[in-house]
Amino acid sequence: MRALSVLVSVSLSVLLVACSNPRQEVTVQLANDVLLPAHQQWRDSNAALVDAVETYCAAPQASVDDLETAFYQAQSRWSHLQPLMVGPLSEGNRSWQVQFWPDKRNMVVRQTESLLDETDSLTREQLEKASVVVQGLTAFEYVLFDQSVALAQSHDRYCPLLTGIARHQLALSESVLALWNEPGGMLAQLRDFPNERYATAEEGLAAILRTQITGVDVLKKKLGTPMGRLNQGVVQPYQAEAWRSRQSIENLQASLQGAQAVWERVRSLVSDAALVKDIDQAYADVANQLAALPAPLMELVQAPANSETLTTLYAALDNLENRQQTELARNLNIQIGFNANDGD
Amino acid sequence: MSLTRRKLLGAGAAMAGVAVLGGWSLWTGTAGESPLLLSARNDDDGQHYAVGYYLNGKRAFATPVPERCHAVARHPFLPVALYVGRRPARESYLIDLRDGRLLQTLQSQPDRHFYGHAVFHARGEWLYTTENDTREPGRGVLGRYRLDQAALRLIHDGEATTHGVGPHELAWMPDGESLVIGNGGIRTEGGSREEMNLDAMAPSLVIMSRHGELISKETLADAQSSIRHLDVAADGTVITGQQYHGPAYNSVPLLAIKRPGEAYQPFPVSRAQLAMMDQYTASIAIHSEQRQVAMTAPRGNRFFIWDLDSGDTLLDAPMSDCAGVGAVPGGFAVTSGQGKCRYYDSRTADVQSQWLELPGGWWDNHLWLS
Repeated sequence: MRALSVLVSVSLSVLLVACSNPRQEVTVQLANDVLLPAHQQWRDSNAALVDAVETYCAAPQASVDDLETAFYQAQSRWSHLQPLMVGPLSEGNRSWQVQFWPDKRNMVVRQTESLLDETDSLTREQLEKASVVVQGLTAFEYVLFDQSVALAQSHDRYCPLLTGIARHQLALSESVLALWNEPGGMLAQLRDFPNERYATAEEGLAAILRTQITGVDVLKKKLGTPMGRLNQGVVQPYQAEAWRSRQSIENLQASLQGAQAVWERVRSLVSDAALVKDIDQAYADVANQLAALPAPLMELVQAPANSETLTTLYAALDNLENRQQTELARNLNIQIGFNANDGD
Repeated sequence: MSLTRRKLLGAGAAMAGVAVLGGWSLWTGTAGESPLLLSARNDDDGQHYAVGYYLNGKRAFATPVPERCHAVARHPFLPVALYVGRRPARESYLIDLRDGRLLQTLQSQPDRHFYGHAVFHARGEWLYTTENDTREPGRGVLGRYRLDQAALRLIHDGEATTHGVGPHELAWMPDGESLVIGNGGIRTEGGSREEMNLDAMAPSLVIMSRHGELISKETLADAQSSIRHLDVAADGTVITGQQYHGPAYNSVPLLAIKRPGEAYQPFPVSRAQLAMMDQYTASIAIHSEQRQVAMTAPRGNRFFIWDLDSGDTLLDAPMSDCAGVGAVPGGFAVTSGQGKCRYYDSRTADVQSQWLELPGGWWDNHLWLS
């Protein structure tokens, strides 16, 4: 009995410490107010996409506008979520099912058309068994926006695929959301410590920050790839993410807002006021430059006159990444990278 | 005062005494000893160390070293260990385990670099390392070094081919005379970590005598699966872990098994588990007494334990940047590159986990427990 009371008092003191631990508070706030809502909004946008595609495909003469709007929204929610996808969505190759990018060999077109050639009317089961290349938003975007696809005249061919993809996305997002909400699931693992995944709130916070910083690094890739930074300076407009829907810049903005939502919560933990100001400014720089871009990214990269503008934007993203990866990580004493990024 | 073998043997006994004093309450079944964990580790500023910690959290030593190390080869009876330079390192470090003193910086031979792994022969005289022939990049070399036990220095004595490209981990077969080697199949130039032949990889699992004779050489179906890490059970069963260099969304086997007298083949792992590994396996440990195999997947932040014979899953759990794993009484100890280290008690199907009081993060991908 005495041992039990000692245990209870220890547990109570741990609880009190936990309640007054700012890092734990921020971690819980991030989980409740930023990460989970972002997953829910992604799920909701997929539900709206299912509705829109069913409406469109049910009426042969229907306008495609509402479907395009629903697609933009689903793509935007997914972009917003990418710097926030700590846990289930980042595991088990799930994110490949949402989007196939980069698509260096134009596999989306080849595999989509070949799948449709092989099937009379694509079933859900056939899509589930197919490659991730045709299961996600990139294949959906191809059908909806590529000039080689006469969608209005080819409902029979393409509607089963569009419907299947939208339903697949909805099912995927619901299964991820379930992994967040289940007892002992991701939400609980970012709230109650220690748990199966994290020993401390500190570890949970570090995982969120790593995901967010990786998300900013992905923004650099999404900008840098069409600019030709990985191609000896030769521009690659068709390697831009979402080039067919001309939504590359809007997606970058959505991702930036997702990353910034983490920073807004973490800011209170930073002891260096100058650093806070620098990071605030770094976000503002990137946001302002993105907002000022006058045309879709795949068009901008093709005009040499825009080179300086894009290079400046890239440098601003680089600055944002470095401020967080080095200075913020050092200030918070949080370790960002190690073996996983540079293995052997 | 120069060290001698006699003094070091005495020191070994003293060290065991410290371990007993340290005590680790979990393992009351093994005379309360707290095993010594040897590993390469960094600090927050990027300084590399050769470290020794008792599993109860007590630090034995942390010796700064110029190059980042990868795996550790413990001498069979002297309290010394070689911390092996991570590819393409030109240095490895012979450390006195009593106090962490650097006994020798072992330089690689001209036109050779270390690949991060080495083993001491059971009689204590010979050390074998995997190395790259930089004049013919990728050609696998088994470096042979003699330990001068009086001077406590390793002296290069010769080499043999590993009968493959880009060798990585090696281990003794139960006879103690033949080695199993994972030839990763990847060609890298001297001084570089850049893969030069991802479209023409040639990985292989080789069993050879320590003198160089090839006993067997086997391959897997997928040439882009680099065979890198492995462990050997007491009965000679070999488990290997692969790293896949094809498309990230493909599903290919990442573990393979060679049972005694049988062909090398994929170890049965579900597609769902494979998808959690992000095409990358790091460290493999077999628990011979419990007939279990454990594996870390740091990119997938996932740690697994399977039954070695049935392939049944005992544990499939998240663990940030899980790094080195080693068998300990009752289960496995696992380090992490980013978080706290853990002990998993896998004596029953209901595997229990406990955080270890070791420093968190910055552990490299391999450990040696003794």
